[in-house]
Amino acid sequence: MSMKFVDEYRDAELGRALSAKILSSIVPGRHYKLMEVCGGHTHSIYKYGIDDLLPENVELVHGPGCPVCVMPMGRIDDGIAMAHEENVIFTCFGDMMRVPGSEKTFTDAKAEGADIRMVYSPLDALRIAKENPDRDVVFFAIGFETTAPSTALTLKRAKAEGVPNFFCMCNHVTIVPPLRALLDSPDLRLDGFIGPGHVSTVVGARPFEFIPADYGKPIVVAGFEPLDVLQSIDMILAQLSEGRAEVENQYGRVVPYEGNPAALNVMAEVFELRPHFEWRGLGFISQSALKLSEAYADLDAERRWEVPGVRVADPKACQCGEVLKGVIKPWECKVFGSACTPEHAIGTCMVSPEGACAAYYNYGRFAREREVV
Amino acid sequence: MRVKRIDSDRELALCEGEGGDRISVEIALVQPVAEGDVLLVHAGTAIAHAAEPERVSA
Repeated sequence: MSMKFVDEYRDAELGRALSAKILSSIVPGRHYKLMEVCGGHTHSIYKYGIDDLLPENVELVHGPGCPVCVMPMGRIDDGIAMAHEENVIFTCFGDMMRVPGSEKTFTDAKAEGADIRMVYSPLDALRIAKENPDRDVVFFAIGFETTAPSTALTLKRAKAEGVPNFFCMCNHVTIVPPLRALLDSPDLRLDGFIGPGHVSTVVGARPFEFIPADYGKPIVVAGFEPLDVLQSIDMILAQLSEGRAEVENQYGRVVPYEGNPAALNVMAEVFELRPHFEWRGLGFISQSALKLSEAYADLDAERRWEVPGVRVADPKACQCGEVLKGVIKPWECKVFGSACTPEHAIGTCMVSPEGACAAYYNYGRFAREREVV
Repeated sequence: MRVKRIDSDRELALCEGEGGDRISVEIALVQPVAEGDVLLVHAGTAIAHAAEPERVSA
């Protein structure tokens, strides 16, 4: 059975042709280091073996675009404290359940008796609030600009419908500040970026113009099918070989250059920027996360309940921070595949399906020799 | 996901995924929507329309 929107981007022959084109376009002896920003791209790269189609000179490093992975332990502790509050039903996405806090996960807290429920969308959490008017329902919101519009619409709906027992603990983060932090970091020398496709459906491609303008690096917003990723790599390498640095959009079938104005408007109404926010592995980054605006303060769970708000250092053995910055590959972490597995994860990168460590582990990807050009 | 049916009053659509799974999707951010449209859905909310696939060439 053929599947429109899928088969067009999984053609093996075209994949091999793109691979050959990439091979012919690189300068022998030059090393190219490209970062795929989004965890969805990391997943595609290892699921489809895209790195095997590239010469060794073209290195892909993983970026900070997995929202579960960048969540610091202190925020998990804050969520658990909220879940243990009297009369609270605490809701979150399924992939948050096993993310370790300093002592336990949401799954552990649920086993201890906290009423923690997995939801597919924030609207499900709002429905639970309407069905349980004598309980307080908290939605633990995470995600980049891809997911933030869904939370914003739900909060707008809760306010319009006057649902008094619905609250949001907002952990939404934004993609541009960590990219700027990475570009300013002396740890990493990058030649270009595979831009985040789904975030760009909301914010558009324009917010990435600072990358070529301020840093002279190309970025190509890309889709998630194998040919999308290969074509975007080819487009980045073409820019490099021609001495260009621009924002290009490979994912034009979904991403308008200006993004989604309706989504941006609802986000602007419901959220405002936090002065700073802690990212796992990257530390505190200014104006990199969202909180509820004053107009929605009555729905803000962090104003309704006090939380510990303590900064917690990552476990010493865990090197998620280095993985998230692209400084090391997952298999180079001391605990990868031994003490840290998807079943018993120490770090967030092994918990989330979009995490680089989980992608490597689940698809059996380890360091291998490849052709040097 | 492909739009199968629309509830205009509540700005919801019944959408079907690749595997035949069906869910109710918030469509307020991608209006106008018509039956048969293909939408990109995140956390129960449609955030973009998908245009016809483009041919990738090497």
